[in-house]
Order: sequence, then C-alpha cells, then structure tokens
Amino acid sequence: MKETFILDDKVWEQLIELTDGAAAVCFQCGVCTAICPWGLVKGETISVRNFMRQAQLGLQDGNENLWLCTTCAQCEAYCPRGVNIADVFLGLRYLAWQRNQPEEGLPTLLWSVYWNNNPWEQPPSQRSQWAKNLDLSVFDPEQHEILYYVGCTTSYDRRAQKIALSLIKLFEEAGVRFGILGDDEPCSGEEVLSVGHKHYFQEIIQRSSQVFQDRGVTKLVTTSPHSFDVFYNHYPIFNEDFRPLHYAQYLAELLEESRLKFTNPIERKVTFQDPCYLARHNGELDAPRKVIEAIPGIEFVEMENHGIDTLCCGGGGGRMWLETAPGERFSDLRVKEVLETGADALITSCPYCVSCLEDSIKAQNIQEVEVMDVAELAVLAVSG
Amino acid sequence: MPDLHIVVCVKVVPKPEEIRVDPDTMRLERANARSEINPPDMNALEMALGLKDKYGGRVDILSMGPLFFEHPLRVCLSMGADHIYLLSDKDFGGADTLATTYTLSKGIENIGSVDLVFCGEESSDGATGQVPPGLAEWLNYNQITIVSEVDVDLKRNVVVGQRGIKGGYEIIEVPLPSVISVKTASNEPRFMDYTIKDWAFEKEQMAVWNKKDIKVSENLIGVPGSPTVVSGLEQAPSRERKRIFLSGTPEEIALKIIAVIGNGD
Amino acid sequence: MVESLYGIPVERKAIWVFLEQCEGVFEGVSLELLSKGRLMADRMGWQLVGLLMGKGVKKLAQEAIAYGADKVLLADHPLLENFTIDAFGHVAFQAIMEDKPSVFLSGATPNGRDLAGRLAVRLRTGLNADCTDLRMDLETGVLVSEVSGFGGGVLALIEMQKHRPQMATVRTGVFPPGEPNVDRTGEVLQLTVDLTREMIKTKLKERVVGEGVDLTQAEILVVGGRGVNGDYQMMRKLADLLEGEVGATRPPVDEGQIERERMVGQTGSVCRPKVAVVCGVSGAFHFVVGIQYADTVIAINSDPEAPIFDYADYCIVGDVFDILPALINALKVAPGVKHA
Repeated sequence: MKETFILDDKVWEQLIELTDGAAAVCFQCGVCTAICPWGLVKGETISVRNFMRQAQLGLQDGNENLWLCTTCAQCEAYCPRGVNIADVFLGLRYLAWQRNQPEEGLPTLLWSVYWNNNPWEQPPSQRSQWAKNLDLSVFDPEQHEILYYVGCTTSYDRRAQKIALSLIKLFEEAGVRFGILGDDEPCSGEEVLSVGHKHYFQEIIQRSSQVFQDRGVTKLVTTSPHSFDVFYNHYPIFNEDFRPLHYAQYLAELLEESRLKFTNPIERKVTFQDPCYLARHNGELDAPRKVIEAIPGIEFVEMENHGIDTLCCGGGGGRMWLETAPGERFSDLRVKEVLETGADALITSCPYCVSCLEDSIKAQNIQEVEVMDVAELAVLAVSG
Repeated sequence: MPDLHIVVCVKVVPKPEEIRVDPDTMRLERANARSEINPPDMNALEMALGLKDKYGGRVDILSMGPLFFEHPLRVCLSMGADHIYLLSDKDFGGADTLATTYTLSKGIENIGSVDLVFCGEESSDGATGQVPPGLAEWLNYNQITIVSEVDVDLKRNVVVGQRGIKGGYEIIEVPLPSVISVKTASNEPRFMDYTIKDWAFEKEQMAVWNKKDIKVSENLIGVPGSPTVVSGLEQAPSRERKRIFLSGTPEEIALKIIAVIGNGD
Repeated sequence: MVESLYGIPVERKAIWVFLEQCEGVFEGVSLELLSKGRLMADRMGWQLVGLLMGKGVKKLAQEAIAYGADKVLLADHPLLENFTIDAFGHVAFQAIMEDKPSVFLSGATPNGRDLAGRLAVRLRTGLNADCTDLRMDLETGVLVSEVSGFGGGVLALIEMQKHRPQMATVRTGVFPPGEPNVDRTGEVLQLTVDLTREMIKTKLKERVVGEGVDLTQAEILVVGGRGVNGDYQMMRKLADLLEGEVGATRPPVDEGQIERERMVGQTGSVCRPKVAVVCGVSGAFHFVVGIQYADTVIAINSDPEAPIFDYADYCIVGDVFDILPALINALKVAPGVKHA
C-alpha cells in the first residue's frame, strides 16, 4: 500500500465529529488487531490499530481493507479503553463516500434503497408478496399489541421468509394480536449505516420514524438483529412508548407470561450462534438461550466462542453485498466449531447468519448439521 | 480551450412492474406507479460526470415531461450535474420518437454550445435505441452508440468511444459535437453527494421551458409530430414465474425443453 | 402534422430489408427478416427487396435471393467496407428516395438500430423498434407492428397510416430463418455510389471480437451449480448447441472449477438472457438475483424442495447427469432450435 501522509486538520475534525471523538481515546495498544477475526482467515490481520492510527492522524489515504470490517465489534469487546472502534471504521467509510471512493458495488446498494426501499433491487410493490396467501392484518394500533417488522431481507429472500412464516405461527399459537405494514414498511436503513453513509442514513431514519409515528407504532418486533439495533440505538424516540424488540426477546417474554408453551419435545443436540448485533452490540445473550432451553428434549451445548466471544458470520458491515474470497470466510471456520460440539443443529437468530452459515455448510459438504433460526426450531415445539 | 459542455438526456419512467393497462380505455395507467430515473440514463450521467471529473466543464440535464419529473431530476444534480432544463408543455405530450427527438434537439439548440450529448442506450418503458441516432440526425451531430468507455481529445476536438458489438467491441473516433449513447450497466453510477444536496433542491437550479421558449414548429411536436399511432394496447400476461413441472423420461423431458426454448415461451 | 418526404400516393409496393453483413457473412437477423418478408410479400403480392451494402459482397446477393429476395440492390464500394453511419446512411437514403418503398425492415443490431434511427428522422417517418411480430393489413397495406414495453408487461400494436416508409426493427431470434432455395432466381441491381472520403466522419480505429467473457450479452445462458460436479465440459457442449454462454454459481467458482468471470449472481454478473437453463443449482437468493431478468428460466435439480423451483418457469426434478446428456443428444438431431 502506497502511503501518503497528509495531516489534515479538517479531516481530523470531521472524524472526531463523525465518531463522537472515538478515535481520540485510542492509545495504540494493538489488542484490537490481535483479536480481529480477519486475522484468523487471512493469515495476516487487517491491522485495526493502523486504521485507528490513520484516523488519529486524519489521513487521507484510501485502503481497500477499510471495507473488510464487518462491524462485528469483537475488537470493541476487548478494547481496554472502550473505544467505539466500529464507529471509527464507519467514519472513515463516510470520508471515502465524500471523496467518491466507495467500494465497488456499494453505490448500487444505496441506489437500491433509494429507488426500491430495499437493498436487494427487488420491486417495492412486491415487498409483501411473501404474505399474500396468509391473510395477515394491516397494523392498527387500536387492535394490535405489536407491529411485526419483517425487514427487507426477510421480505424478499425466500430462505429468510421461512423465519417469518415460523414466527407468525408462534404469534398465532400465543394469541398475539399483531399486524404488519406490508408494502408501506419502510427500510430500516441498517445497511446504509453499516457501509458508512451517515448522511443518507440520517435521512432514512427521519423518514422511517415518521412512518412509525404516523402509524402509531409503539411495540415493534423485528426478525433481524440489525434492524433491531438501528431502531433501538439510532432512531429518535418520537414516542415514549416506542419499544423495539428482537423477536428472540419477544418470544422469551411470551414464555415468561406463559402465553407460549412448548409441548412437543425435540430430541436434538443443538448449539447457538450469537449474532453480533444481539450479543455484542446490545448485550443480549439470554433471550435466545431462554427460548431454546425451554424446549423439552433439547440438549444445548455451547461452542467455544460463544456469547460475547461469538465469531461473526461475516455478513455485517455491508459484506452481504460484497464478495468475500474463498478461504477467507468467517462462517467456514464457524461451522467447523459446530462440528466440534457434536450438535446436529446450528441455531441462530439473524437472516444474515443463516445465509452465511448455510453457504459454508454447503461449501464444505457437511451433511450432519442443519442451520435453523430460533423461530424455526421453536415452531416445531408447539402443538398444531 | 473552452470548457467541455455536456448535456445528458434523462427520462423519468414509471417502474415497469407497476404499469397497468386500463382494459376499458386501452390506455396506460401510470398514476399509481412509482417513478425512477431510467436506469441506463444513470449510466449515461455517470459517464458524463466522469469526463467532468477529468476535464472540468459543465454537465446539464435535459428532460422532456410533466413537472412532477422535478424531484428525480434533482437527484441528478445531487450526483454532480450543474443545471436542469425541463421541457414541459402540454403540446409536447403524446409524442413518439420522431417528435420527441425533435423536441429534445430544439432544447439542446436552445442550451447552446454543446460538445456532447449523452443518452442512455435505451429506456425501460419501451423506446429502444432510437432516440440517440434520431437526436444526432436532427442536430446534424456525429454519433457513437453503445459506448462503455469514452474519452475526449479537446485539442483535436474529437471524442473516442468503445462501442459494443456482438462478441466484442469497436474503438470509434468522431469529431465533436457528437451524441453518445451509453451501454446499459457499463458503469456504477455514483451515489448522491450530500454536501451539495441542499443546493440541488434549490429553485434556481432548474429551468422549465415550454414550446415558445425553445421555438419549435408546432407541426413537429407532440401528436402532430408523431407518425406512429397505437392501435391496440393490452396487459401482457403476468411476469410471475410459471413453476410448471415437467415429467417423463429424460428423452421426453429433453424434447419438452427443446419445445420450450424454441417457442420462446 | 409532420409529413414524411414521400407518402402513399407515390410509394412502391415493396418490402425492403436491410441486409446487414460483416466481413462477407450475413447477420442472422437479416436472413430471418427475408424469411418473414417473403411471407408478407406473398400475402400482399408485393416485391421483396434486399438492400446490400459493403465491399466485395456481390456473392451475397445470390444468397439473399435464395432466402427469398426478388431483387437485391447492391452498393459495392471501398468506402462501404466497414459500417459507418455516414456512408451507410447516405447510400441507404439515396436508394430509398429513388425507389420509395412502402416498408423498410432492419435487424435491431447495433448497426441496424443506428441506421434505422437516423433514416427515420431523415425521412420524417415513423420507426417501430424491437418488434415482436409484424403483419401486413391486406386491405390497407399498413404494417402492423407488435411491440412490448415496460419490461414485457405491456403489448402494443403500432401503425403508420400516412407516413412512408413504414420502418421497423426486429431483434434476432424473433422470426425463424427459413430454408434457402438455391434455384430461386432474382434480379441484382448495382447502385451507383457517390461517396467521398470527406463525407465519412466516423473513424474506426480498432475492432476486437471474440475476447473475454460477457455473460450480460448472452441470449441463452446455461448455468451449472454444485450439482454438476464440475462437469463444465458438458455445460459447454449444451451451451454451444444452443449458441449460448456458460455461467456458474459461486461454489464451483470458489473451488476453481471454472473462471470467476462466469459467476452469475448478486456479486457476479446480473444477466438478461431470453432463456436460462439452470442445472444443479439450489437457488440461493444471491444467485437468483443474477437471473431474475431472464425471460424464461428452466431449472433442473434432483431435490424437489430446491428453492430454485420457486424462481423457475419450467421445473425438472431429476438428475442432471440423466437429463442433460439426453438434451444434448436431442439437440444434435433437432434443426436450428435457437429461437426465443
């Protein structure tokens, strides 16, 4: 990499502003670099420390490794200074957008969100096609306890739709009165945030939160931890009662309230992939485990890197839209860990994890392990 | 050396999957359809902006249509274009390609001192590839079509383009001024620049011209200027996948597959 | 009302076809148009005329007659060796104004579209592009063109009641090419060409054909996934018989079984073929995005639950190693199957 050191006060100030001063606190210990999963797959790390240094010096140089970060925040969990390292990456990414130097494929992603209200270049008028035969209600705050926020990936990706179908059965089992927004459901903007376009993200959350406000949304349950994260941490609190939940948290609530009961035993040995955006970004380790362990007959084992140490599936940070070279996929390593547990099912609770992990399982021809989302497992445990 | 002046012709189109044909009136219903910029025009704009990055100069947007085109056109300004000229007049309506290219050419003449006119190769709502050469003919400009890469030599006053042909490409050079039609998906259009977005949505950046402003001949615009008429219109069968399962022995299936391919079914 | 340079009162009852050739070989679409033109001419009792421009292409005139032309207007000139809009436009315009045909058809090829587009304006007439069907109205002599718009969502019928010539372009593969009849006779008329070098502003600096892979241009795409076990030779055979291209999903590309340029999908090529034959592919979303614009998708997979079947028009549950060899054999025997 050709290095041009141009100290630029303006860039430094911008970065401080973009990252709420995150870059200033780092004292260059290098723990982040040591712990970053890229070190595991690439043989050499991507030197998070160097990126922090670049940020501190306000450097102008472009670097394609900037786009490798999945924002899994493993580095943040170990940083002795509590630096929001992922934010620094996002800040540097925003500077790249300003210089018209984003990674190839990402402008297409943003345009897709702009014109189609989803990142997958799918027709906006077909967002709720997946539900056309289900007779679901349009969300009405007077009638419904929760808004089920399906999300872009779950709406359009047939594999992820299965998670929604399972969830809906669980809601019905528990007698939950829920509605969806259908084609009016706004994109959460999480992918825009994750590729660093802060300004466009701000525009999206203004517009989307207005939709929620106008529709009287208070309690909201998401399929994806990524949408949950942006609603919970980034959206304006337009309403005191606005309460976003990831569905694992909601299912745990329903179990606690005895509205949901698991009666069919499932005699399987399972393990759990903590999604980064539940475990590390939001400290949610218990809810999915509560749901799984409530299922009679389940034998639950942990992988070595579980909970706060969970190994990212590789899908965050915009990487679902970027090509990751073979041999460099985190999920390939992850499924090996599953084999070590002897589990025959890998449970997770994120559509990106499902996609990456299933790809790795297929790529390595692993017959003995099946990937399921928590909802898909749970629905087997209810009667009917 | 004078500044490079490029005009990009941009069409705002309804999302194709949302168009309906009213079976009673036999007319297109686009009132409920979401609008977008014709995707190939985004590629054309990106190519023009690439030249502006390299050589400086101006990139203007020219469009013909009703006033609601404004919002999508301002997106083009947010990408880095300089000004919008919207040709809008009820008498421009109902135009086929002959009248449309005539009207656009009068718009370009009115803008003046244009070196290059960029167009998307085709448009998603149907006019396929006729506008660029038609426009070049009205203007008496040269042309290079289906261009995936372009460069100018301002000293020699020429433009050089890589033109797509079956199984390969040609490198073509023509003197300025010229029309360039840009190959669909030949580049990745840059996203909007948020530092200029506020500016892009200010009133001053768009001019609306009617038929008098661009001094057209009345018999060459709109319906009078259109030799072709639509004598029938119908909704094509649904675009959903058929999901028809074929069965039989491999030999029987092979014949069925051949029949399907042969019928273009 | 705009007026074309000539109208019905003076038109010659003839259908003209622009005979596009490159380096002495006809473009397939030109032969297809002769075939269709012959049917229309017979129906109307009109003449079918081919306009042939080039250098050293005289022998092609006979071939055009064998495919159905009654007459070939031949412009043979050094400055017509390579297609330039300046030269071809000039010669075609002169020939049309001389004879004033009722109908002028062209293939919707890069050059055909350029020529038709400029001529239509020069003649102040109408042009229907990318027609999916053509027919002549027996009573009125009007050409009715069927075109589709909005990504195929809408079908329109278009005609010109007053303007001449009635121009239309047609993509390759819409009409069948027909069989040549070497015993057919016809007239070959040599045109006087008054081109000068100064008239030609277009400089062709280079032409490169046959290098590199561009799946996005393929009209027929044969995609092999994990289920073909790396047998891309079989895929190639099938693709060749269909005159198509070979694509692949990510796993075989990752395993080095086929080059990365052939990857189809969200992070590979997004293609727009007329037909996609998808073999041994399970149908993950990021792949499907690459073929979502295909007109027709045929999927073969041994797993009846494979997601790919949700995205296909024709679904075959079976072993690709049974189905594809049978298909290849059947194609070897079947004549000219590539029409879509």
